[in-house]
Amino acid sequence: MLSALIWIPIAGAILMGLLPASWESRRCRKIALAIAFIPFIWTLWLGIQFNTLQTHLQFVEYIHWIDWLGLNYHLGVDGLSFPLIFLNSFLTVIAIWISDRSKERPRFYYSMILLLSAGAAGAFLAQDLLLFFLFYELEIIPLYFLIAIWGGERRGYAAMKFLIYTALSGILVLASFLGLVWFSGATTFDYEPLRNQNLPIELQLALLGMLLVGLFIKIPIFPFHTWLPDAHVEASTPISVLLAGVLLKLGTYGLLRFGVGFFLDAWVILAPWLAILAAISALYGAFTAIAQTDMKKVVAYSSIAHMAYILLAAAATTPLSLMAAEFQMVSHGLISALLFTLVGVVYKKTGTRDVKVLRGLLNPERGLPLTGSLMILGVMASAGIPGMVGFIAEFLVFRGAFPIFTIPTVLCIIGTGLTAVYFLLMINRVFFGRLSEQFSQIPPVAFREHLPSLALTALIFIFGIQPAWVVRWSEAQTTALIISPALQSTIIIEQKEATGNRQLGNKQAIKQQATDIS
Amino acid sequence: MMTDFFLKSVWFIPFYGLIGAVLSLPWCIGIIRRTGPKPAAYINLLMTFIAFIHSSITFSSIWGRPAEKLVFHWLKVADLDLSLTIELSPVSLGALGLVGGISLLAQLYALGYMEKDWSLARFFALMGFFEAALSGIALSDSLLLSYGLLEMLTLSSYLLVGFWYAQPLVVTAARDAFLTKRVGDIILLMGIVALSSDGAGLDFSDLVSWAQTSPLPPLSAALLGLSLIAGPTGKCAQFPLNLWLDEAMEGPNPAGIMRNSIVVSAGAYVLIKLQPVFTLSPVSSDALIFLGSVTAIGTSLMAIAQIDIKRALSHSTSAYLGLVFIAVGLGQVDIAFLLLFVHAIAKALMFMSIGAVILTTSSQNITEMGGLWRKMPATTSAFVVGSLGTLSILPLGMFWTIQRWFSGAWEIPLWLLGIVLFVNILNAINLIRIFRLVFLGSAQAKTRRAPEVPWAMALPMVILTVMTLIAPQIPLNWNLWLSPTVPLDNANLLFYQSTVPILVVSSAIACIIGFKLELRRAWSRPRQKYLRFFQDLFAYDFYIERVYEMTVVSAVMLSAKFTAWFDRYIVDGAVNLVGLATIFGGNTLKYNTSGQSQFYLLTIFIGVALIFWLVFSGQWSFIVDYWLSIVPG
Amino acid sequence: MVSTKRKSTQHPLEEYIQRLETGKALLKDTPENIVEVVGILKSYGVVLDAYSRNLIYISEKQFLVLFPFFKYFNGEVNPQKLLRYWWHDRINYEYAEYCMKAMFWHGGGGLDKYLDTDEFKELADRAIRARWKGNFIMLGLHKAFPEFLLEHTRQMSYYSGLGQFWRVMADIFLSLSDRYDRGEIQSIPQVVQHILDGLVTDAAKPITYSVKLAGKVYDLLPKSAGLTFLMDTGVPYVEAIFFRGTPFLGTVSYNAQEYQIPFDQAMFNYGALYADPLPIGGSGIPPTLLMQDMRHYLPDYLRKVYQSKIRKEDDVRVQICQSFQKSMFCVTTATIQGLAPHPLDTKDPEEKDVNRAYLKGWMNRFLTSRLLEVNR
Repeated sequence: MLSALIWIPIAGAILMGLLPASWESRRCRKIALAIAFIPFIWTLWLGIQFNTLQTHLQFVEYIHWIDWLGLNYHLGVDGLSFPLIFLNSFLTVIAIWISDRSKERPRFYYSMILLLSAGAAGAFLAQDLLLFFLFYELEIIPLYFLIAIWGGERRGYAAMKFLIYTALSGILVLASFLGLVWFSGATTFDYEPLRNQNLPIELQLALLGMLLVGLFIKIPIFPFHTWLPDAHVEASTPISVLLAGVLLKLGTYGLLRFGVGFFLDAWVILAPWLAILAAISALYGAFTAIAQTDMKKVVAYSSIAHMAYILLAAAATTPLSLMAAEFQMVSHGLISALLFTLVGVVYKKTGTRDVKVLRGLLNPERGLPLTGSLMILGVMASAGIPGMVGFIAEFLVFRGAFPIFTIPTVLCIIGTGLTAVYFLLMINRVFFGRLSEQFSQIPPVAFREHLPSLALTALIFIFGIQPAWVVRWSEAQTTALIISPALQSTIIIEQKEATGNRQLGNKQAIKQQATDIS
Repeated sequence: MMTDFFLKSVWFIPFYGLIGAVLSLPWCIGIIRRTGPKPAAYINLLMTFIAFIHSSITFSSIWGRPAEKLVFHWLKVADLDLSLTIELSPVSLGALGLVGGISLLAQLYALGYMEKDWSLARFFALMGFFEAALSGIALSDSLLLSYGLLEMLTLSSYLLVGFWYAQPLVVTAARDAFLTKRVGDIILLMGIVALSSDGAGLDFSDLVSWAQTSPLPPLSAALLGLSLIAGPTGKCAQFPLNLWLDEAMEGPNPAGIMRNSIVVSAGAYVLIKLQPVFTLSPVSSDALIFLGSVTAIGTSLMAIAQIDIKRALSHSTSAYLGLVFIAVGLGQVDIAFLLLFVHAIAKALMFMSIGAVILTTSSQNITEMGGLWRKMPATTSAFVVGSLGTLSILPLGMFWTIQRWFSGAWEIPLWLLGIVLFVNILNAINLIRIFRLVFLGSAQAKTRRAPEVPWAMALPMVILTVMTLIAPQIPLNWNLWLSPTVPLDNANLLFYQSTVPILVVSSAIACIIGFKLELRRAWSRPRQKYLRFFQDLFAYDFYIERVYEMTVVSAVMLSAKFTAWFDRYIVDGAVNLVGLATIFGGNTLKYNTSGQSQFYLLTIFIGVALIFWLVFSGQWSFIVDYWLSIVPG
Repeated sequence: MVSTKRKSTQHPLEEYIQRLETGKALLKDTPENIVEVVGILKSYGVVLDAYSRNLIYISEKQFLVLFPFFKYFNGEVNPQKLLRYWWHDRINYEYAEYCMKAMFWHGGGGLDKYLDTDEFKELADRAIRARWKGNFIMLGLHKAFPEFLLEHTRQMSYYSGLGQFWRVMADIFLSLSDRYDRGEIQSIPQVVQHILDGLVTDAAKPITYSVKLAGKVYDLLPKSAGLTFLMDTGVPYVEAIFFRGTPFLGTVSYNAQEYQIPFDQAMFNYGALYADPLPIGGSGIPPTLLMQDMRHYLPDYLRKVYQSKIRKEDDVRVQICQSFQKSMFCVTTATIQGLAPHPLDTKDPEEKDVNRAYLKGWMNRFLTSRLLEVNR
């Protein structure tokens, strides 16, 4: 069942490549859209079948593959990965939908997008380290082409920078995986046995450190982030949507799945440092965003700031904060996708994203009033206005992390405050005021072009008003990350106690470590 | 049974406004554009009217019943249980009724004031949203819910102030209004997170018991108190977050009616509900008293130098809210409520009056006006009654409120009398100055032709005038629900007995000063240098804005510029240098100058392909078999 | 008027002075302009016709009604009309009232002066007492606030005055459209000539106003006051609406401390010849109402022009406003010609000098107007 999520897009990608070269771009887009809808609907169907109370893997597929290597084709989905699978399937549809109808070399373009989607799905579904790594690397290639071929002026530079960074990230992640398997003496790369590894703490720290640097590049966390703004600025809108909405989540997913899941003891030791790094990254992203004049860069740096909250929540390592980390991934996925989509609309219509040039786009007759209104909603969601998904996600992050890391949390809350600053500066310049003469003849936005943003906005509202619909998927699993699954099967009251003990234990351990360090 | 139904469904009242807002969307976003936007206005008026009726019925049926609570479980994650609680009590339902009533009148007023505005639907939608948030705050018994609603207020004020988004000053005003309130909100959020983390339930009523048993160390208690004060400080336009209210006067006047009466009160309402937490630390109550006093004195001074009719009144709003802050700081919550109530009604009335003046004269400069009283009876009487309602000279709302405050039932420090006197005297002078400039004297060019406003504006004005006249019933019959009864302070009986006469006499003197004051008309300015200095100092709000610009704003901007520079030249530069030195042998800073990049890509590509080949080699038949086995047939 | 020598420094709008002197209009004579101007004046004529009927109806039948709920119904109240009214599917008469109030507020001309005479006050007092006969509250209010109802009566006179002025203008514009449809109008100067002829024909038409209360007729603007169409309503109208206007809340700050709005109303330049068409349709821009009304009555040939633009019907109100501004410059040209001390194409050098000074006076006011933009 799960294989379909990987192989349908791959088959689609191949199919796209086989289409007659004479077919026009418009038709290719329709076919790609139809293909992308299949995994999306499939995901929804899986969601209906999904048992939210279980912490076991569901819909498992297991095929012995290469025994001597210990690699198996092992797929499964749990509460940690399902929301991300959903994001991937959904945003792939959105990305194809908003792709230019007269894209050059359409067959190659759409097959790359489908391949990208397949790679991300594979990485989220994999239950085998090596398999994860394969998909993690697989997704780099289409993305490189997507930036390098259909990007902006400096696409070559941005694509190569992305490639080098993520390749480095891959090497570090792989090294950490290999080390883990090698030293723990495991026979396979399967996740579950490795969770019970009992390596000496120094070794764990070394492996975790390597893993973290690899993942930090992907997320990205300061100071490994510089590839991201360039990649976003040069990439076309649909690619930015996928990059921010899905691909960055591979990094944070790795934090939870491997960092917390495999190296819990070492993780708790490093946690205070991670929290500090998260705070730095959040503030750094926010301050840098204030000074930007390219709308896309503002959103890109805001992305850096908001992804840092996930690190903060993950560092706190309580059932609440881990759930919050997962929630923030969903929230950021939706909000950043919306913002990039809208910036894309502005760029497409006006030909510029320069905050210093754009003015008065809310003009109801000749501007982009609906785009502007949705943009206001989008930035408000990002700034954490209640009623939208950004608020509850951030509130859970802060509430989860505050008891453990008070100062970093307070700094991150200040970062949230700064979100309003940079976004309001941008909104007020671009949309308010009198429409500039040079933009008084821009084409209108068709309803078709509004549809993706409307869909995203609707989800942002729905999950903001009814957050339980996100929490129910993942809560059992995020809790299971730090409590052994054996305990999970006991009755709920015992589980609660266990949660409390573990949480208390962590808290003490972390506080102890914090005092040791300082 | 019927009353029970209305009581149980009281949670729905905020949704009336929201429904109105949502139903207005077709006109707002231009789906309906061949016909006009008035239906949206009618829908919102109707919804507000229903909300008002509903809340009036519940208000009349809550009397004699114990306070009730309705709890909605919103979200449960791990050990965190977020529930949204609303309270049914005479106070909360009374506040709800006040919100509904003023909102209804303001919307009716807007129907006249905004009749020429084609974006009427957007305006009414925002008013509906505004009203929904305000009604929610009135009912809320949960700090989290109140916080959420305060944030929605912040958002809707941003949108309402920014209603005329193409006007340059509106753009900055809306931004500043949002950001200033946001500063308060963010600090408040820290307080809420801390409170929740320290194990307090986020219900206001739980806070009382929590505060009594809380083992917080003094520093934490002080910080917690201060952070909780920050939110209302922004909302109530208190120093140092007071300037947005002045700027927000760029927005439409009907929204200004709401903003200066019930929106600022909403912040204070939350503050009053948080009062138990402030008892934890003397620092927080001292801070409240300090902020309130500074604001009351400072903004009273600012008000008397304003020549803009809206701003002259809006600064006095801050001053009265300052008194509320002081009352809360002293723990005299009932008085705070009364102050809020009488101020809200009277201020709303005055803003209606000046809206009529602005619409008729196309001007906000009071030095350009004069002689309106003969032509505009409703407007004039509204202004007079509103002014008297906020001054303690005739037995109207404020007089009775102050009388109850100083009746001896509360412990009143001497300085408080001083501050109240100061605020009262300066406001009397200010209001009489405005009254003389606008309504008395001879007409100037812009007030030469000034017909009274049409019924849609005049009617709410008259209704509110009557309400202001009967408002003293509230302070007279208020039961002091929220405070422990304190025995009369007999020791200082003389002091308490003399306060009211002192107040009345001082008001009378202030009025005489106000009438004797030399007025400047037609843009003229005093010739004396020192007078000019003080006029400018007060008129430009003690140059606080300039101070902010040079401190907070420039600090943020400098940090932003620094990090952006650091990002570009240090982080990115260093990374590029290291990366390139190793990969390309260093002398070029561009990745794509030569075929090397393609070579590099090829390497990765081949590498990955090799891995795949390795993985898949000899496995193809297996994969095919697997797929054949699961595909049926 | 002081005569100036020709050699004096060149006016920045010298080009337009010369155009007027050679019998041309302020607006360039191009085929597109003629389509736009005639088309828009046609729909403007339809709208003005409705406005003027309503203003006159209000002044006669809604005299001092405190709650004039049905003032836009022109006396015809039925469920169907009520539903359409609630759905806001109607002419925006609010705009007519807005123009009336602006004109009333700015004043100028004989009508304005007459309203301040004792004669008018007496007439008004009589009408007010007749209107509130037996109503002691209102009569008491009238006593306590002596100018309250008087001011409203003055306003009623303006309702009537503007209504009568627009009555004439609507007919001029509609007959222009008829002549265009018959092929008689082919150039902008012809449009100007048509308007000028219309103005001249009715220049001396008396402006009068009386209300019928309880079967008795009360004169408010008697014929004996000698108010005439062109000088007492036309010229003040052009001054108040074309030139001065009132500042739009959507673009100008009313903040007194910013001093954006001049103290002297004569320095106002928010009128139709100055207004920026781009914000039309946004918030706080009252002329949107007029453009909205005109969109329903566009002739097909003009609609086709608008359809051919990038946004088609989406920005039709801005496009209408741009055309409208062009047409208003034609009306202004006609006014300039009509009020000129001597025929503008005179050969007499002395007359020419006088004309030049007169034209320079106009041009000075056009400096900040949209004159250059409409001719671009």
